[in-house]
Amino acid sequence: MKMEKIINISSLSKSYGSKQVLNNVSFSANPGQIIGLLGPNGCGKTTLIKILTGLIKDYTGTVKIDNEEPGVYTKSIVAYLPEKTFLPDWMRPVDAIAYYADFYKDFDKNKANELVAKLGLDPKQRIKTMSKGQQEKLNLLLIISRNAKLYILDEPFGGVDPASRSKILDLIMDNYAKDSTILMSTHLIYDVEKIFDRVLMISHGKVIVDSHVDELREKGKTVEEVFKEVFTYAW
Amino acid sequence: MLGKLLKYEIKHSARYVSIIYACAGAVTVLMLIAMLAKMTWLSVIGSLVLYLVGIAAVFMTLVSVIRNFYDTLYSRQGYLTFTLPVKSSQLLFSKVIVSFFWIILSCILLGLIIGIIALNASRQADASLTGVLDVIKESGILEMLPSKWMVAKLVFILAVVALLNILTFVGFVYFSVTLSNTRALQKHPKLFGFLIFFGTYGVANAINMKLTYSLPLAVHVTSENVYIGFESMDTMSESLTSFGIGGAIFMGLVALGLLILTGWIMERKVNIK
Repeated sequence: MKMEKIINISSLSKSYGSKQVLNNVSFSANPGQIIGLLGPNGCGKTTLIKILTGLIKDYTGTVKIDNEEPGVYTKSIVAYLPEKTFLPDWMRPVDAIAYYADFYKDFDKNKANELVAKLGLDPKQRIKTMSKGQQEKLNLLLIISRNAKLYILDEPFGGVDPASRSKILDLIMDNYAKDSTILMSTHLIYDVEKIFDRVLMISHGKVIVDSHVDELREKGKTVEEVFKEVFTYAW
Repeated sequence: MLGKLLKYEIKHSARYVSIIYACAGAVTVLMLIAMLAKMTWLSVIGSLVLYLVGIAAVFMTLVSVIRNFYDTLYSRQGYLTFTLPVKSSQLLFSKVIVSFFWIILSCILLGLIIGIIALNASRQADASLTGVLDVIKESGILEMLPSKWMVAKLVFILAVVALLNILTFVGFVYFSVTLSNTRALQKHPKLFGFLIFFGTYGVANAINMKLTYSLPLAVHVTSENVYIGFESMDTMSESLTSFGIGGAIFMGLVALGLLILTGWIMERKVNIK
């Protein structure tokens, strides 16, 4: 039986004025994969993510998620963790959980409440009085409490100290819907490369490496080593 | 989904205006106590404060309409709002409805405040409400007023014009904020927001003035009737008063056009920083 692609991108290009940010990008992803989206700052990762999440619409090429162009349907099956904190500061965890439960049919309210307790967050504390770390935990738990078909995580360890990274990684791995796909953008490759099935490396808006991690390991290389090789050469 | 959007829109925007409404309530209670205790100096100060609170409520509501629109769509919260599984048109529609609700509420509040102040003033002057009404009846003013049906017609027309004005404000504001948050202009969104608002509003208002006086569409109030006539406002010499509505209709249509354009920009061109 032919497996439906969860992501299917063909000849995707995007410019900001005269600056070409994505240049003829093509790739597809099967359900169940964990994909690392890697590249230096400004290489086009966030633009690609914004297109996949429906935040940017003016591009050329074809983008399909679960066979649909980014829109209302794809937003209902994609759980997106932006790099920035995004919840209104008047909300408390209990409000944020109610909000997600209201808008996303795949949101598991019980799981979210359990994670709030597990992560030591006060359900009645206003977000504006939380530390940045607490806010990031809350954002993450809301995303992984969804039984989404595709999780897009943009730098999930951006503001997290090294000691907490493995805990957060475990949290993601223990709680995401197992038959779904994760597309994770990060520059902290060493900490997370063990979970990747596949890596995409982007430079100057082009996919320059698209490889399964097993293939790299068979060649006796780690993802981080390949990354350093590629980008020392490319930049 | 629209119902859920409205629920959170009201929750979010209520934070901005709730303080001013709470102030109005507190001052009103204070004034009532002062009136009952016959503390003239306190009720005079209360009237003044209440009037200022009423004006502030309208002003704060207008500011909150702008602030709430920007915060929920174009600040970091935009990452949440624009990735909800809803259409941009639903997002926009929910914001328009809630803005209407708050603006109308603030106008009603100001009307009530003016009523309370008038009541207080009549008490201060040792005149009962019925006494004031007697004076009005004796003056013959009521006989000069058209029938209740005519008054209702006039109120209805004025209410429609007021709604068109609210639509105009909301349409121009939403368009300006949205356009100033497209990639080309978002380095200075506040500056461009102001320039776009005053630029578009200035041009549209100049046309509005022209149409108000020259377009043959006006509300005429005579001693016997209130009607919309196809004559310009200065051609009916027998009218007690006339006011052109062509300009208001034009502004309403422009605002509607701008809202549709805003929805399109939200869908295609907005860039969340």
